[in-house]
Amino acid sequence: MGDAPKDSTLDIRLLAVATGRNPAKPRLEEEVTELFDQWHGALLRYLTTFGLSQHDSEEIVQEVFLSLFSHLQKGKARTNLRGWLFRVAHNLGLKRKEAERKAVGIAADVENLPHPALNPEEELASNRRQRQVSSILRALPEQDRRCLYLRAEGLRYREIAELLGMAVGSVAASLERSLTRFQRADQR
Amino acid sequence: MSQKESQESFHLSDRDLLLWADGELSPQRAAGIRRHLSACWTCRTRMAELEHAIADFVQCYRRELDARLPSAEGPRALLKARLAERTASSGAGRNIWLTRMRPVRAASVLAAFVLLTGVAIRLSRHGNVRSQARETYMVANLGEIPDTNLTPGATNPIGIWDVCSANVSTNDPAVPDPLKREVLKEYGLNEVAANGYEIDYLVTPQLGGAANIRNLWPQPSRNTVWNARVKDALEDRLHYLVCSGQVNLATAQREISQDWVAAYKKYFRTKEPLQEHSGRKQIGMQRRDVPFPLVAMRG
Repeated sequence: MGDAPKDSTLDIRLLAVATGRNPAKPRLEEEVTELFDQWHGALLRYLTTFGLSQHDSEEIVQEVFLSLFSHLQKGKARTNLRGWLFRVAHNLGLKRKEAERKAVGIAADVENLPHPALNPEEELASNRRQRQVSSILRALPEQDRRCLYLRAEGLRYREIAELLGMAVGSVAASLERSLTRFQRADQR
Repeated sequence: MSQKESQESFHLSDRDLLLWADGELSPQRAAGIRRHLSACWTCRTRMAELEHAIADFVQCYRRELDARLPSAEGPRALLKARLAERTASSGAGRNIWLTRMRPVRAASVLAAFVLLTGVAIRLSRHGNVRSQARETYMVANLGEIPDTNLTPGATNPIGIWDVCSANVSTNDPAVPDPLKREVLKEYGLNEVAANGYEIDYLVTPQLGGAANIRNLWPQPSRNTVWNARVKDALEDRLHYLVCSGQVNLATAQREISQDWVAAYKKYFRTKEPLQEHSGRKQIGMQRRDVPFPLVAMRG
């Protein structure tokens, strides 16, 4: 056809329209990379609370974003991506921890490893209140600690409830319980 | 007293205060709480105490971890390379736009990766699948552990006496340049890229490792977590354990060649390189009780 576009960019654009794609839309890779920039630190911090090494946590963060890429590539829901990211990271973190527990060699130690923020050298270096909060945190049940970490990362009660498989009311009760413990200790 | 006033004379529960502060209440209930707080110093004080507890916790959670969050640059580059790879493999045959764009896209992403990491990947001469697999391997594993197909490890037929005799040099013998070039070629690295790597023995000669291409690999000299210094510490330790009869020489050779990072974790009973080996501050982990002396003894 005489009036067919010669410009290759336009050609591609027309082909894209014909196949129902819109190249003007930011590419999925870029979108995922931007989300990575936004959430990398928070996810890494959350994963280290499982007692995972930095290396393992980084690997899991990679896995999370590769899964996100597949998720979006399939055209699945984009609503509440933060909740989605933390849920996947949480599940992968648990899985990795479980695998470590089963592994030979350091198996027995993993369970006993303290919260990363709580090792003795660091405790000495920080102030009395920090030590106090740390030791209360250490004594809390795992579920209560998770509620605190996830809330600190900005998740809403409903998101935390879904992620940890508990009722919204239980999340509120858990947070209240933990915070009043911190508060009571401060009064002593 | 009206009903409304009598309700407001009760103090709010911690639960209500927390739900209100976290924005978890309906607008009507939230308005009720706000009204009460404006009238009640006791509840305002209680709210302040709870906020204080939240602040203490968040400080505890974030302060120590945030200071040690590593830069996202390396992991970001790695993710981009992996995404590009996925796009290339999943787009074929079902998406005209992606199919048409693929060569441009792959080249630009790889170029970005090269810039970011200083790893120049030989694209022109090694466009085949095998070299792509190598590149992917180097990218995906940060080069900490060699490709077991290319570098399975190789040892000389020597015994424990040779390994442990006092006159064994603790320095690895230099690798001849032609052999170095062979190794780099095998891993698809050109001379520019080679600057970012050291040719290292997988099984150290201290443990009978051979100066053979199957036992040599390009280890990234940039400061990855599992770097050459960390591996040196493992070699010292295994040498000590072998020579003190606690570990069999063949076992040590096998473990270091299969996965030296796993061997390090096992023999130092840690999940991360110890600070004195890596020169980095550890994140998260601390050393557990180590049953043997940390400093290797020789001879």
